[in-house]
Amino acid sequence: MSNQLLKDTLTLVLSGGQGERLYPLTRDRAKPAVPFGGIYRIIDFTLSNCLNSEIPRVYVLTQYKSFSLDRHIMLGWSSLFNNPELGRFIHILPPQQRTGQTWYLGTADAIYQNIYTLEREKPEQVLILAGDHIYKMNYAEMVRYHVERKADLTIACVNVPKAQANQLGIAVCDVDNRIQGFQEKPKENPATIPGDPENCFASMGIYVFSTESLVRRVSADARKETAHDFGKNIIPEMVAENARVFAYPFKDENKKDVAYWRDVGTIDGYYEANMDLTEVNPLFNLYDETWPIRTYREQFPPAKFVFSEPQGEHPSRRGQALDSLVPNGVIISGGTVEHCVLSPQVRINSYSHVQDSILMEGVSIGRRARIRRAIIDKGVRIPEGTTIGFDPEVDRARFTVTANGVVVVPKEMPLG
Amino acid sequence: MAKLLVVDDDKNLRLLYEQELEEEGHDVTLASSGPEALDYLKSNRPDLIILDISMPGMDGIEALGKILAKDKTMPVILNTAYSTYKDNFMTWSADAYVVKSGDLTELKAKIKDVLKTRGMLA
Repeated sequence: MSNQLLKDTLTLVLSGGQGERLYPLTRDRAKPAVPFGGIYRIIDFTLSNCLNSEIPRVYVLTQYKSFSLDRHIMLGWSSLFNNPELGRFIHILPPQQRTGQTWYLGTADAIYQNIYTLEREKPEQVLILAGDHIYKMNYAEMVRYHVERKADLTIACVNVPKAQANQLGIAVCDVDNRIQGFQEKPKENPATIPGDPENCFASMGIYVFSTESLVRRVSADARKETAHDFGKNIIPEMVAENARVFAYPFKDENKKDVAYWRDVGTIDGYYEANMDLTEVNPLFNLYDETWPIRTYREQFPPAKFVFSEPQGEHPSRRGQALDSLVPNGVIISGGTVEHCVLSPQVRINSYSHVQDSILMEGVSIGRRARIRRAIIDKGVRIPEGTTIGFDPEVDRARFTVTANGVVVVPKEMPLG
Repeated sequence: MAKLLVVDDDKNLRLLYEQELEEEGHDVTLASSGPEALDYLKSNRPDLIILDISMPGMDGIEALGKILAKDKTMPVILNTAYSTYKDNFMTWSADAYVVKSGDLTELKAKIKDVLKTRGMLA
């Protein structure tokens, strides 16, 4: 891989969406800052990809509720990226209102409003990432693919079975992977990959633009009444005008049989992707040292499991966790956790039982509480004897309950 | 014909543009700076703005941003003595870029082009 190609590439991570479908997890934080997998935040997977791909220049475009995202990047990522001597950096870029008084009207407008930054950096290519998917990908290979084809735009696409096409944006390609058109969530007869009649190419929302093409397109788009959106406006226009738009077949660095790429933009999707991590053989591999996933982590004492009364006829006081992720700083004090993702400083008190749940930082589960299929956000103290996840009617009266029956207890909600 | 606003800090050039463009049949208003132009735009809407770049204080690039922020459909031709700004991405949202020269043939042609594209000229 030529280093020069990456030096000539500027990476923008669009992190300004409201993440409404993840509400209430996004009530107090930007979607990329939503915790994931016990110790990570969603954006860590994209930033780990950047670091593992040796991407040198990264801007994170923030907007709504960006404080915890800013802090996370400052504390966890600055030291990994920033080296001015080598031209490597990660910078947080809030809206500057150089071109207007509005916040970002859409993804294309987010770029238009930051043309000053592109002008200053003058990259040859711009890599645009979303910061809200979980996957492992080497962006350097995509950039090379883009440059080799002298493309105006390259869109990363993942192979999906025909049956899943109705949930996704499908690229219609020729044999050279040049994109001829798009089908948005096609109900029937989705376009399949040339030579592979069972699978389709779904857009992953990852783009490499030649800078000139990007700037011309977003500048023109900014002057029209559109949604100012890549997917809705810019890309269809480029394809219609016969610009060189290519699909890049996603090459998964996860090293499993099936390619892993998950939209964690809905509560149910988010829940399932977390639960997968507790499996004996998870689909998503956190343990591959050749593709490490990094994050900011505070120092905590080791996880502790206390009380080990023998199991008998009466409920015994045993602190135990089974099929679960248990990070440092957790105290499991006489309660049982099964098939859960825990976060630092979680406390599980005696005789309680928590299963199939995600507990975020600082959550405390009171004695004899019974919790099932719940996401309990940061800092919630579950009072003694509380039951969640057993009666949807009762839960719905107090909490958000998803279509799949996952209960969400919002951050710091006072209970009892 | 069309209602034009010419923004240029050079008084002699302003007078030249006024004379030549009025001869073309246009209705010409002059402004000597970005702020003066923005002030004029508060209560007027020309069909097209001819905007110098290199001006003291607010330059034409900044003025372009402010003009488009108020009315993104406003046609603007950047008119400058320098070709180097052509590579500046911030100028790419203008409708056209004309390098100043002794005669105004190119500018006049670009004015016609832009008005035609905008459907303001048959």
